Amino acid sequence: MDIELLEIRDFLVAHHPFDQLPEDALNALPAKLQIRYFRRDASIPENGDLESELYLIRTGAVELHDGEDLLARLGEGDVFGYRTAAVEGAGDHNVSAIEDTLVYQLPAKEVDDLCNRYPPFAYFFRGKSGGRLRDAFATLGQEDNSQANQMTVPISEIISKSPITMLPSATIRETAEMMSGKRVSSMLIVDEKESLVGIVTDRDLRSQVVAKGLDYNLPISEIMTHDPLTADIGDYAFEAQLLMARQNIHHLPVTQEGKVAGMLTATDLTKHHTTSAVYLVSDIFKQTEIERMQEISAKVPQLLLSLASADATADSAGHVITAVTDAITTRLLQLAEERLGAPPVPYAWIAAGSQGRNEQTAKSDQDNCMIIDDSYDPAKHGEYFRDLARFVCDGLDACGYIYCPGEMMAITDQWRQPLRTWKEYFRKWIDQPEPKALMLTCVFFDLRCVYGEQNLFRDVRQFLLQKTRGNRIFLAHMAGNALSHQPPLGFFRNFVLIKGGEHDHTFDLKHTGIVPIVDLARVYALASGSEAVNTMDRLDVVAKGGEVSEDGARNLHDALEFISGLRIEHQAGQIRVGDKPDNYMSPDALSNFERNQLKDAFAVVRTMQNVLSQRYQR
Amino acid sequence: MSIWKYLFNLEERRNWWTRKMPDCPLRDYYEVDFPDKDSDWRQVDYLAVDYETTGLDQKTDQILSIGFTTVRGESLCLDDATHFLTKPTVEIPESSAVVHGILDDEAASAKPLEEALPILLSALAGKVMLAHHAAIEYQFLSNACKRIYGYPFIGPVVDTLALEVRAFRSRDKAIQSGDLRLGAARARYKLPRYPAHNALTDAIAAGELFLAQVAYRDGKRAPKLKDLTVIS
Repeated sequence: MDIELLEIRDFLVAHHPFDQLPEDALNALPAKLQIRYFRRDASIPENGDLESELYLIRTGAVELHDGEDLLARLGEGDVFGYRTAAVEGAGDHNVSAIEDTLVYQLPAKEVDDLCNRYPPFAYFFRGKSGGRLRDAFATLGQEDNSQANQMTVPISEIISKSPITMLPSATIRETAEMMSGKRVSSMLIVDEKESLVGIVTDRDLRSQVVAKGLDYNLPISEIMTHDPLTADIGDYAFEAQLLMARQNIHHLPVTQEGKVAGMLTATDLTKHHTTSAVYLVSDIFKQTEIERMQEISAKVPQLLLSLASADATADSAGHVITAVTDAITTRLLQLAEERLGAPPVPYAWIAAGSQGRNEQTAKSDQDNCMIIDDSYDPAKHGEYFRDLARFVCDGLDACGYIYCPGEMMAITDQWRQPLRTWKEYFRKWIDQPEPKALMLTCVFFDLRCVYGEQNLFRDVRQFLLQKTRGNRIFLAHMAGNALSHQPPLGFFRNFVLIKGGEHDHTFDLKHTGIVPIVDLARVYALASGSEAVNTMDRLDVVAKGGEVSEDGARNLHDALEFISGLRIEHQAGQIRVGDKPDNYMSPDALSNFERNQLKDAFAVVRTMQNVLSQRYQR
Repeated sequence: MSIWKYLFNLEERRNWWTRKMPDCPLRDYYEVDFPDKDSDWRQVDYLAVDYETTGLDQKTDQILSIGFTTVRGESLCLDDATHFLTKPTVEIPESSAVVHGILDDEAASAKPLEEALPILLSALAGKVMLAHHAAIEYQFLSNACKRIYGYPFIGPVVDTLALEVRAFRSRDKAIQSGDLRLGAARARYKLPRYPAHNALTDAIAAGELFLAQVAYRDGKRAPKLKDLTVIS
C-alpha cells in the first residue's frame, strides 16, 4: 500500500466491522475501494443492485426505507448495502442520501473474501442479530475470564459434587461412623428417591445424643432436623450466605430439581471471600433506629460501584442490590412488630415491580403490597396494619426508596387487603381486562414474598397463574401493554433515532431498553403459568415451555444482559463522579462496538414484539 | 489561462506528433487515441494527477513527487493509486521543503525524471488529465517532456478549478479570495478535510471534487466530455 492511503486506512480501522481485521488485511483494503459521491436526495446506487457493493459512509448521511417506513438513518462510519439487510433487521429496502454523501464502496466478492478469511469480521454480517450478540459476549467473556467474580459465583461452583447421604433408617451410630470416616461435620438424610428429608450435624450428636445419653442404636430420623432450609444449586453464593447469617446456621443443604446435590458450609463460603453486600445486610439486621439504617442504605451506590468494578453480571448485581432492599424491608417490619406488638392475624409483605423481580440497580421507587389473612376484620385489625404499613413505607422512603408515584404501596388502603380481596382484584384484572388499568397494575404481576406468611402469597400466586395460563383475551391485553414501550430504531450521529424519524438526545435505558424485555417476559410467564418473576428466570423457563422459541428467549436474555450491563456501567460512572445515578445515557458515551451491540439488541426486541403481536393481536 | 487557446484540435496534433516522433515513452502515449470529446462523460477514463514541486515557476522549478489515481464511470478507483518521489537536479529550497515535508535525503532515494515520466505517461494514455488548477500539472509535464524527449505533451484536460469558476458564474456569485482553493471548493460540497500537500492525497481530493461538481451540474442531460474539459 502506498503510505498516502494511510488516511483512508485510518478511517477504516476506526469503524466497525473493519476494526476486526488484522493489520495486513487492513493495509491491503484501501486499494480495493472505490469512492463515490452522491448529492442530497440521490438514490444509492442510482440504478443497479444495492447488494452488489458494501458501502461505508465517509461523510454525509443516508436513510434506509422500506416503502414508506423509515428503517434507519446512518451517518459517518456506518455501513450499508451488501449483506447488511440482516444487520438492519430489514428485508428489501432502498437507500437515499439525505445529505451530500461521500462513500467508500467495496465489491461483494471482496466482502465475501474477507468474511471467509476473518471470522470476527464475518460475525458482523451474521444473519441473526441474536447470534451476533452471543458471539460478542463470547469475545468479551474470553477477555474477562481471569477475573472471576467471587461475589457472584453460583453455589454450583463452590460445593463438592458428590453429596454424602444416609437413609433415615440408619442408626445414629452408623451415621456418626460415616461422618468420622468421611471427615465431615454434617450428614444429609435422604429417602429412597434421593429427596432430602433431614440434616444432622456434629452439634446434634453432641446435644441430642451424648448430652441426653440417648441410645445410639435408634434411627437417625429421631434426632435429625426435619425439612431443613435449603438452597437451589443455581442460587448465588451470597444469597446462601445471607440466609445462613440470618438463620444462624452453618450448614445449608443444596438441591437440584428436588434432589439433593450437596452441602454448603460456612467454611465453603469463607474460602470464597466475604463480601461487602453480606456485611451490609448483617449490619442492617443489627439496627434499631431508622437513622442508622439510612446511613447503611446510603452505601448502596458504593455497592453498585464495587459490583461494576468486579464485572458482576447485571443479573447477579440485581440480586445483590435487591437483597439489601429486602433486608431493609424485613428489618423495618421486625422493628414495627416490636413496636406495635405481634400481628393479630397472619399477613405477608410482598415486593412488587423491580424489587419483586430481583432487578434493582441504584435505588428505585418502592413497589409493595400486603396480603392479610382472611380472618382480617377491618374494624378490629385495620389500625394495626395501617400503622405497620406506614412505619415500613415511611422507613423505606427515609432510606431512599421514595414513595411510588403511582401509590403502588402497602400504605395505600387499596393495596393492604385480605386474601379474598386480592383474589377479587386479580379476578377482575384478568377476566375483565382494561388496557389503562393493566398498565398501572402490571407491577402486581411481578410479586415476591419478602416477609411473613408465605402461604398467603402462594395462594394468590397460584390463583392468578391458574387464571392467566393460556387465557388469550387477557394475554392479548398484556401483549398490547408489552408493545407500548418500543426500542429505538438505532443511532444517528449523537442522536437516538426513534420510530417515525424523530430524534432523542438521550437513550432511555429503562423505558426503551429494559422495560420492553421485562414486559415480554412477563407475558410469556403468565401465558405458561410459570412462577418465575425474575426476567432472566422467566426467559429461561419459558424457553423450555414452548410459549416462545428457545432461540428467541435466548436472544432476549442476551439483549437484556447487555442493556442492563450498560446501565450498571452508566450508573457506576455517575456515582464515581458524584452524580445521581439515572437511566439516561448520551449516545456520545457509547463506543462504536456498543452501538452495534445495542442495534442488535433492539432488533431482537423488535422481532420478538412482532412475534408477540402476531400471536395475540390479530 | 491563455495557453489553452493555442491548443486546439487535439486529435490532429496527436497524429502529427505520432508521425514525427522517434520511438519513446511519449510516442507510446500518443499512439493511444484520445477519448472522444462527444462521449458521455461517464464513458471516459480520467487520471487525477497532482505533483509537489520546488515552486510555481515552470521554467526553473522542478517536480518533487507525483501522485495519481483513476476516475472511471462515476467512481474514483484506488486500485491503481500511485505515488512516488522524483529526483530533482537542484537542491530543494528550504521554503518548499517545509511545505511538502520532502527533505533532500528522502528525495535522494527518488526516481530520476527519466524513470518517472514513462510511468505517468503510460497511466495517462487514453485518459483525460484531471487536476485542480491543471495548468501547473500540464505545463510542468510538458516542459519535462520537451527536456527529455524533445517534444511537448498535449492531451485533453479537466480542471476542477475552472469547473468551479463556471459554477460560480452560472449561479451569478462573486468569487472571493481563497474560494477557489482545493480545500475551500471541497468544503462547499461537504467533502472531508484531508491533510494537504501530499501529491496522492491531493490527486484523490481533486478526483472527489470532480465527482461532486458533476453531480451538482444542473440540467437533465448527462454532460459530454467536451462540456467539462478545458482542452478538447
